[in-house]
Formats: sequence, C-alpha cells, structure tokens
Amino acid sequence: MRKVVAVAVREFVETVKTKAFLISALVMPLAIGGAIYGFGWISRSITAGELPPRRIAVVDYSGVVFGELARQCEAYNREHPQRQLLVAATAAADADTLAKTVREGEWHAYLIIPADVVDADTACEFGRKDIQFETGVQLQNMLNEAVFTARCRQTDPPIDPESVRELQRPAAIRTIDVQTGEEAGDEAARMVTPFVFMFLLFMATFGISNGLLTTVIEEKSSRVVEVLLSAVSPLQLMAGKILGMAAVGLAMLSVWGGVGYASAHASGAGHLVTGYRVTYALLYFLPGFLLLSSLLAGIGSACNTIKDAQGMAFPLSIITIVPMLCWMYISQSPASTVSVVLSFIPPMTPFVMILRVCADPHTPMWQIVASLALLWASVVVAMWASGKIFRVGVLMYGKPPSPRELFHWLRYA
Amino acid sequence: MTDVLTLTDVTKRFGRFTAVDRFSLRVPAGEVLGFLGPNGAGKTTTIRMVMSIIYPDEGEISVLGQPRASQVKDRVGYLPEERGLYRKMTVDQTLRYFGRLKGLHGHALSRRIAECLERVELQDWRRKRTEALSKGMQQKLQFLIAILHEPELVILDEPFAGLDPLNIELLKALIDELRGRRATVVLSTHQMEQAQRLCDRIVLINRGRKLIEGSMHEIRSRFTTRMLVLEGEGDFERLTHLPGVVNAHVTTAQARLELDDGADPSAILKRAVDVARLSRFEIQRPDLQEIFVRLVGADRQVGAGDAGDEAESGVTAARRTN
Repeated sequence: MRKVVAVAVREFVETVKTKAFLISALVMPLAIGGAIYGFGWISRSITAGELPPRRIAVVDYSGVVFGELARQCEAYNREHPQRQLLVAATAAADADTLAKTVREGEWHAYLIIPADVVDADTACEFGRKDIQFETGVQLQNMLNEAVFTARCRQTDPPIDPESVRELQRPAAIRTIDVQTGEEAGDEAARMVTPFVFMFLLFMATFGISNGLLTTVIEEKSSRVVEVLLSAVSPLQLMAGKILGMAAVGLAMLSVWGGVGYASAHASGAGHLVTGYRVTYALLYFLPGFLLLSSLLAGIGSACNTIKDAQGMAFPLSIITIVPMLCWMYISQSPASTVSVVLSFIPPMTPFVMILRVCADPHTPMWQIVASLALLWASVVVAMWASGKIFRVGVLMYGKPPSPRELFHWLRYA
Repeated sequence: MTDVLTLTDVTKRFGRFTAVDRFSLRVPAGEVLGFLGPNGAGKTTTIRMVMSIIYPDEGEISVLGQPRASQVKDRVGYLPEERGLYRKMTVDQTLRYFGRLKGLHGHALSRRIAECLERVELQDWRRKRTEALSKGMQQKLQFLIAILHEPELVILDEPFAGLDPLNIELLKALIDELRGRRATVVLSTHQMEQAQRLCDRIVLINRGRKLIEGSMHEIRSRFTTRMLVLEGEGDFERLTHLPGVVNAHVTTAQARLELDDGADPSAILKRAVDVARLSRFEIQRPDLQEIFVRLVGADRQVGAGDAGDEAESGVTAARRTN
C-alpha cells in the first residue's frame, strides 16, 4: 500500500504540474466564467452608452403607414433617449437612388413601403449598408404595429387598435414544482442542470482517464516501466496510477464544481445545486472513473503509440458518448424504458444515471442501488482483466494486439 | 552456504512458443553468476520471472527464501535490459522516487543518494532533468536506481550494453564493490570477456534450456579440445587435412586448428615447419567466446531438425564468426 501511495503521489504531482492540467482545471473555467461575465459587461456597457441617432429614409407609397410609424418611433425614442431612431418621409425615388445615398452615408438605411401594403402582402424593402441587427428588429416591430393600425382603420366599421391590443394581452402562467410545491424558477436552467452535472462528470472521468492512457504509453515508450516494475508489482503500479489520477479528477471536479457553484449563485440559480445532486455526482464519479480508467490503463499498456491506443479505445469512446448525445431525451423522460435500459450498460451508467437523478429526484431507489452495484461489479471485472493485460502488455513492444490476442493475454499472466 | 536464488524446472510459454523450458538454477549467497546466452535464449524472460513481473507456467522459484520476489522486492536490485527514465524529473527526484518505492525514507534516503551520486561523479547533476544527461550518465543513474537500497541480490540484465570503455571499467569496479559487501549478483551479458573476468560461475542457456553450468575453470577444463594457433607465412591450407584436425580457420597469415583429443600437436608442428615460415606457435584452451559459439551452434543444429533451414543458416553464420 505504501508503494501504491508513492506511485499515486508522483502521478498526482507530475500531472498537476503540467500545463495541460493548469489550462483545463484553472484557466478554462476562469476563461469561460470571464467570457460570460465579460460579455455581459460589454453588452451592458454598449446598451448604456450613447448611440448616434440612426436616420432612416422612408418612402411611403401607401400614404397611410408613415404617420403611425413616426408615432411608434417617437414612443421608442422616449423610452430609449440614448438610442434615437429617426424616420423621415422622403420624396419618391427608385431603390437605386436610395441605395446610393445610403452607401454614401447620407442615411443609415432606407425603407420603401409599397402602395398595397395594407391589403396585399407585398414586401417592404429595407436597405442597409452594414449589419443593422437591432435597427432592423425595431423597425420591423414598428412597421407591424403601423400596418396593423392602418388595417384596423380601413375595416368597416373601423376597429380601435387599442382595444384589440387590450384583448390580446398575454395570459399569465405560474409554474409550480409538484415535488416541492414551490413556484418553479427558470425552466431553461432547470433543463440544463442535469446536463451540466453530467458534463462535469464526463470531463472529470473521461478527460482524466485519457490522461492515464497517455502516461501509461509514455512510461512504456520511455522504457521506464520495467525499472518501475523492479520496485513495484504491475498491479501496484496500475493501482497507484489510477489512484493518483482519481485524485487529479477530484481536484478538477472540485475546481470546476466550485466555479460552477459560484456562477450558479451569482446568476441566481444556486438553488439548483443541491446536496442531493452533488452526493450522487460523487457517488457515480468514483466507480465510473475506476471503470474507465482501468479499461484505459489496460488499453494503454497494450499499445505503444497514442494513435494505436486511441484506435483501440474508440469503441469505448463511442459508447461513452451516447449519453452526451441523448441527454435531452434522457433528462426529459428519465423513467422511460430506453433511459432505464441505458442506465444498465456499465460504461454509460454513471452518465445516464446522473442525468436521471438530477432530472427526477424520485428515481426508484432500487435502480440506483442496482446500477451502482452493477457498476462496482464491472469495476472489479475490468480491474481484474486490465491487471492481467497490464502485466503482459506493459512489457510488449511492437504492433498492438488483436482482441483475440488480448484474450490470450488474460491467460499468460 | 545458503542459496539466495533457486529455480526448479521453471517453464514459461507464450502461446505455442516455449521461452523457458524446465530450467533449474541455484545461486549461493555472495556469488557473481554470469547468465549467458544468445539473443532470444530466454534470459530476460527468466529474469522477469525471478522478479515476478511475469509468472512461470510450471516450476518453482525461490528468491531470498520466498516463493515470490514481490515479497522481497526491497531486498532485490534489478537493472532491466529495457531501461529508461522519467525525462522531466531531476536526477534527485528520480532517485528519491525510486528510493521511496524501495522502502528508503528520510535521512537514510538522502544520505544514500548523496553517497551514490558521489561514487559515480554525478553530484553536480543532481538538480538537472534526466533528459539533460548524456547517455552514459543516464546509464549510471539507472545503475544507481538498482543498487540505491543496498540490495542483497542484484540482477543486472545487459549492464554493459551501450557503455564506453571508461564506464565499463567503472561498472566493473561497482560490481566488484557489490561482491565486496557480499551481495549476490546475477549478470546477464553478451560480452564474454567481461563475464570471464567478473563471474565466479557461468550458466549458458539457449532456446530456454540450460546448455552448461560451472565455474570458468570447470567449463574450460570440460572442453578438452585444444586450439592450435599458427602464425607466419606459408600455405597453411595443407595443414587442414592432417589427422587429428577437426576444424580449421585459415588465412594467409594465420591458422587456427581445432584438435582432436588424441591428436599430437608436435606432429602438426613438424609438418607446419615444412609448409611455412612460422613466427608463432601456441596451444590454447578454447575461451568462453569459442565455447559459447560452439555450444550454441551445436544446439541450433539439434534444433534445426525441427526448425528447418533457417536455423541451419544460423549455424553457418555462427561458425563464420568463430
């Protein structure tokens, strides 16, 4: 055990010291968090700042829309004094002439309203030089309102547009969580929560156990492995490496989890990070990590290059990526047959189960217990098989073995 | 004297290939044993079984009185043939890590590291990363890893491979120091000259089986055949057909004649005086190199019966190198 710990400590220290770890564990979440906050800050500072008035030339062939459009525009300008939008009725001119004036900077944009805009659905023409996203959206809204008002007046007898707007006011809705009886918050955040937990778990297990694959191959190709085996047994070596990497995974999980929790709190979604969810994340992290890392340690020991190893680990990656692709379905129907079946396919189990328990706090206890039991059982099998393959493979150089040869190796050791 | 290492009828197969075939060996305490054999003879496989890196299919191994070396790894030092270092670790970190893995701690560990580095004159490189070391320095460091914990049994697999003459002398001195403190050394090598000078006893294996075992003296005396070496100018070819000459290698300046047990060297000398102007005449016992080549060659010929032409051509190749 003393030797296992010594191997684990070295593995942990040497991994944590690498740039790759520093980037993924510290810089990445900080950068992402910084980007989110920074982006918010930038967009706030843009909306807060003063924008030069945008002047738009309007040619109204219908003769009934511009008046209402100008009124809408005034209302908008009252609400956004720093982001003035000015419409000016212009004498009839063809599109080319208008386009020229816009190109030369006389106007920001032009709008041509056809004569039959109220009766038929002939398109209006909006011409702008560069991207005028906000202007376009605002102008579209105002135009809708103006045409709507014009239509109301044209009907016989005329309808008061304000009374129609009054009738169209949206019905209020309150979403209640039937489990807690409390009012539910942001629906989108709720839906994403299981995914966030699964993603964290995925990064910590798959990302880190792939690191294990790399170090095993490095030790093989640098020929340091047999020197190591003069002091420790292959099993001690494998156990130490897995343990050290598990510590790396936990460290990464806590950094990411901490950043995630802090930002969830900052954005008012802190209530979604419950002790219940964190407990299950850890409960599934441990066996999930051990299973993947022992399989990858076995694969790494059998290969001599990262390329060979990745080829051999490909089927495993594909299986493990399934929950990533189906997360929407699983988190919305956590109790469906497909979800239950997927939770009992070992390499997927931790990811599917974390999606399910995060989405549905009433996941049957027997399924949790059974999936954990299955997971731990497969950990034992995987460790046994990988231990055997490790013992033989770690000293084998040359081309990587076929699955049949791997099976034979189980009997050599 | 107690045996530090015993192997009894040890067999190891990889699929249909038998790497080690009913191999037995006893190594008494304090002995320096030369473990010789051609490439692929099963030396490294045997050593790996002794180190319990792999396990034998049949037979028993006992290391320092224990059935598995894994139980006594801290008392065994091992320099594998395939050896490397962590490139990014410093010399000090490397020794500290392996020292810890072999049960050394704290003060004792620091003292041993300083002592060992001093001995091989690497103390100035202590804080350098191993990738900055020259190949020879890396080899010294690897040797230190094997002996850092002052093991009772030291197994060295091809320790001389890739060393320059200076470092070979240093390594021989270090092995002599191991002998001086009564450590048992098992030394696998291709360099017959080193084995002849260092080892108390020799074991020669081929195709996983033991061919011969004994002290240098015993082995050489077992080969009663004599080598007659003649040098000078003349037609040595005419000597090769004389009675008593079993085998001959002739050049224009030299003849090496292998003599039958009953042959009379002086009769051949008389004929030689007739055909050549001699500058040297000597009767030699075959050296380890010749014994090695002869035994392995003969063994290959035996194996050729079932292995076919490939092994046959191997024999001729081996003969030519003689």
